[in-house]
Amino acid sequence: MLLTLGCGERAAPADAGPSVATQWAEARALWYIDRDPAAYQAWMAVDPGTGEGREARALLAEAEPLYRQGIDAVREDAAGDADPRALFERAVRVAPMDPRLYLPLARAFRDLGRRSPDNPHHFIRAAEYYRKFIVLLPHDGQAEAARAELAELDPDSERLFAPPPTPPPEAEVIPAAAPAPVALWPLWVAFVALVLAVAAVAVLLSRSRRRRVSLETLAERRPELHPAITYLVHSLRHELLKHRIGAVGDAVSALDAGHATDAQRDFLSSRLYGGEPLFDAWRGHVASFERALGLEDDLARADPSFRSAERAVEQIAKLEAHVKRGDPGALQRSYDTLRRFDVQLRELVTQLTRTPVDGALFRDVVDEVRGEYAAGQVPLDEVVIRAPEPAPEIEVFRVDLVLVLKNVVRNAILAVGDEEPPRRIGLDVETQLEPTGEETVLVHVRDTSPAEFTTEDIYARRMDRGLGLVTAALGRYEGSIAVEPTEDDADWAKSVVIRFFRAD
Amino acid sequence: MATLLVIEDGDEYEEFARLFLSPRYDEVLAAHTCDEALAQAGEADALLIDLRFERAPNDVLVGDLAGAARRFGGDEARAARWLKEQQGTLILAALREAGHAQPAVFVHDFTERRRKNLEKLYARVGAVPAFDAARILATLEELGR
Repeated sequence: MLLTLGCGERAAPADAGPSVATQWAEARALWYIDRDPAAYQAWMAVDPGTGEGREARALLAEAEPLYRQGIDAVREDAAGDADPRALFERAVRVAPMDPRLYLPLARAFRDLGRRSPDNPHHFIRAAEYYRKFIVLLPHDGQAEAARAELAELDPDSERLFAPPPTPPPEAEVIPAAAPAPVALWPLWVAFVALVLAVAAVAVLLSRSRRRRVSLETLAERRPELHPAITYLVHSLRHELLKHRIGAVGDAVSALDAGHATDAQRDFLSSRLYGGEPLFDAWRGHVASFERALGLEDDLARADPSFRSAERAVEQIAKLEAHVKRGDPGALQRSYDTLRRFDVQLRELVTQLTRTPVDGALFRDVVDEVRGEYAAGQVPLDEVVIRAPEPAPEIEVFRVDLVLVLKNVVRNAILAVGDEEPPRRIGLDVETQLEPTGEETVLVHVRDTSPAEFTTEDIYARRMDRGLGLVTAALGRYEGSIAVEPTEDDADWAKSVVIRFFRAD
Repeated sequence: MATLLVIEDGDEYEEFARLFLSPRYDEVLAAHTCDEALAQAGEADALLIDLRFERAPNDVLVGDLAGAARRFGGDEARAARWLKEQQGTLILAALREAGHAQPAVFVHDFTERRRKNLEKLYARVGAVPAFDAARILATLEELGR
């Protein structure tokens, strides 16, 4: 769903009060910046017949099940698997909570407190949420019941917050004799020896783990190796598995069926046994993997798929004389093994890190940056987030993408903080079709600061060390970053555009 | 008499075509650069294209190297590598721009999205994931209708 802001709706005349766009911007600021519980009513007040109103309701509808799941998780406490804190955090990032849910939330914490009476915090939270419900919905049908339930909690609260009991009268204290001095150096020696022993064991365990690691496991543990793994796999698949093995599929089938022509047998022989020996070519690729990925052990021993592929290549190599005589032997079986290996490699590369570039990601990034001291001090007037559905995915580890975006968003917020209002930032994403049929994902971080800032500033790291991390991370993932002016867009002064290839 | 133009950086496709596609295509032409493809495309009824041109020298590559370098954060070496990796599609782009509309098949396991994008860009484009003569011929036949 494309969440557009203010599109299609013209501003109301001046004497009719603030425009819908302004109303929606203020309502969003009430939640995204101030976290005011009254924001829910402000969101609901935006005319649902407008694009802004529909967006507000869509976000509220997206958040509500998360809040309800969070309340259920509080009720279930240790019995369930859901983490209430994580659910609430996700919900908070999307939209404010319906104040009517404060009552079931209060009751969930109250019941939790009754099950764990030694923990006063559950009752404290319950009381807080009862009060919020009563303040926000004083005339709700459940308000009287809420007041009564809060009143029940109050005696306990009084007891919990009562001043500490009077300490007992001071007893006569007889000072203990001072302990005799003990030589400490043997203890230090023993401690250092222990530390070294533990470190040695850790290193040994780490090395043995790195040794017998399949390519798939390595990819899971070392996301920074994904571009290298992808390139190595593509090379292996293209140069060996496609052009030397894959190319002979029809000829292998014909030979196995006993009706290969002389030309087909010659083609088969030249492809499999001409040029660089097949097994040497295979070992060359395996060695490339080991060098590039820092593997200490033979990949063909550590990885079961590589092991069976190597056996198949060995078998094909041994069949040279047979094949040239027209006798297929076990060629078809070995060929099939390598075709399956090729499919496994393709699936591995496909599974490597993918991150959807969506509104949730953008909201997480903005929240995290706003939680920082300096960026949190900037009085932002508006944060505009636009994200299409379905979200495009890119082959970038989420933590790296968040690192990149946080640095760029932080710079945008600090830049507008130096300027006069309105101080606005925006995040949005689009895709672009390339002449190769690939698609590029463009993430825009926009701001209203007119201060000069160029692409060269980013790559020269003139502005901030954080942007140096950005360019390094982008290099790992074949991304790029550029500052683009927005002359045609009156809403923004500039856009920092981050590009990645879309994951297919 | 039908003619197939094979476009690749080596000779594997040409050899394969002569051996396994000959029942359908009496004549097989070969082009190793965009210029060679443009020079011979007028004689061809169909195109069989390799995607990656890793063996091609940089000076024969077609594509916007400067634009690609900007895309890769100024890394010209990476940009040149990308042009080689995707050279087949860029040659097809040049052929289409020159008015050559023959069916074109890549021997490459494109994802469905990529294949559809290529179809959207260039029309009458197919892809077969491996050197499967029957599937290549069937795909060219289907595209030729």
